[in-house]
Amino acid sequence: MIIPVRCFTCGSLIGDKWEEFMRRVSQGEDPKKVLDDMGIKRYCCRRMLLSHVEIIDEILRLEEARRKVSEKYRR
Amino acid sequence: MEVKLLEYDDNHVRFVLKGSNPAFANALRRIMIAEVPTLAIDEVVFLENTSILFDEIIAHRLALIPLKVDPEFIDAARHEPSKYEVRFYLDVEAKDSPLVVYSGDLKTDDPHVRPVSDLIPIVKLIPGQKLVLEAYARIGIGRDHAKWSPVSACAYKYMPIINIDHSRCSLCGNCVKYCPRQVLSMEKDRVVIKDPLACTLCKYCETVCPNDAIRVRGDDTTFIFNVESTGSLPPDFIVLEAAKILKEKCETFLKLLKEIREEHT
Repeated sequence: MIIPVRCFTCGSLIGDKWEEFMRRVSQGEDPKKVLDDMGIKRYCCRRMLLSHVEIIDEILRLEEARRKVSEKYRR
Repeated sequence: MEVKLLEYDDNHVRFVLKGSNPAFANALRRIMIAEVPTLAIDEVVFLENTSILFDEIIAHRLALIPLKVDPEFIDAARHEPSKYEVRFYLDVEAKDSPLVVYSGDLKTDDPHVRPVSDLIPIVKLIPGQKLVLEAYARIGIGRDHAKWSPVSACAYKYMPIINIDHSRCSLCGNCVKYCPRQVLSMEKDRVVIKDPLACTLCKYCETVCPNDAIRVRGDDTTFIFNVESTGSLPPDFIVLEAAKILKEKCETFLKLLKEIREEHT
């Protein structure tokens, strides 16, 4: 849904690293290099960022669409 | 008993504990994980939540935010944890554009307590959505909930003892080549141990050695500790505090034993 606050396995804080990770990776940087730069060493924490899909963005789009439809029918 | 510091920075410490035993090392490790107190959000009162995440999810996310506390405060609060409570409040509304609510938006009256990072996303809002809440941070220990644990990675391993029988070694270089941690290296006419602390005792060198010339075992009196803090407390403080708690436990135990003996005499 939204990036977890901590690594599921070790409990290290990863939530604050998502936006920088995503920005740099989408600019074409190698995820391995970005993770190393950010000091994310263990593979448990690395998979948290590597495998994450921020679905909340999609849900928010749905929510916006749903709101528009309900407004239309209310009128 | 002897302690040698290997690495130390803001949220991580690595040291060697020499002349001890597994029982002591493990007691120290378990206390660091489960009994060194920290501060974490424990109760959240929602005044308004029109975001797409449920109250429970937001409360859970808030609880997991590590809070930076003054170590002395923790040491003082340890014996009366219920006396301390820090109030946080959050009041955000997305007006014209979508908004990400960050841990940095949490406000508090207590200037000594801050989230470790201000950039942890809590929830995302679209225009019109609102989140108003009050949260109470309390002192607790990791045994009750992992949110109170001051450490993320906290582990030890035995100090490796690597024995190379040079009379049997044929210098094939297999052990050097296959070691996943590059512990060994080849020097002129012998294999040398370059970086013993990196060895994980996987014994793959033993497996690939055709002449049975290398033996790896762990020294169960010497431990390499690796303690990583979540950021709420300095790592050296966590180790010291754990030792202090262990000492107090032993003293309580002795006191109880003494009482029993007195009762029976």
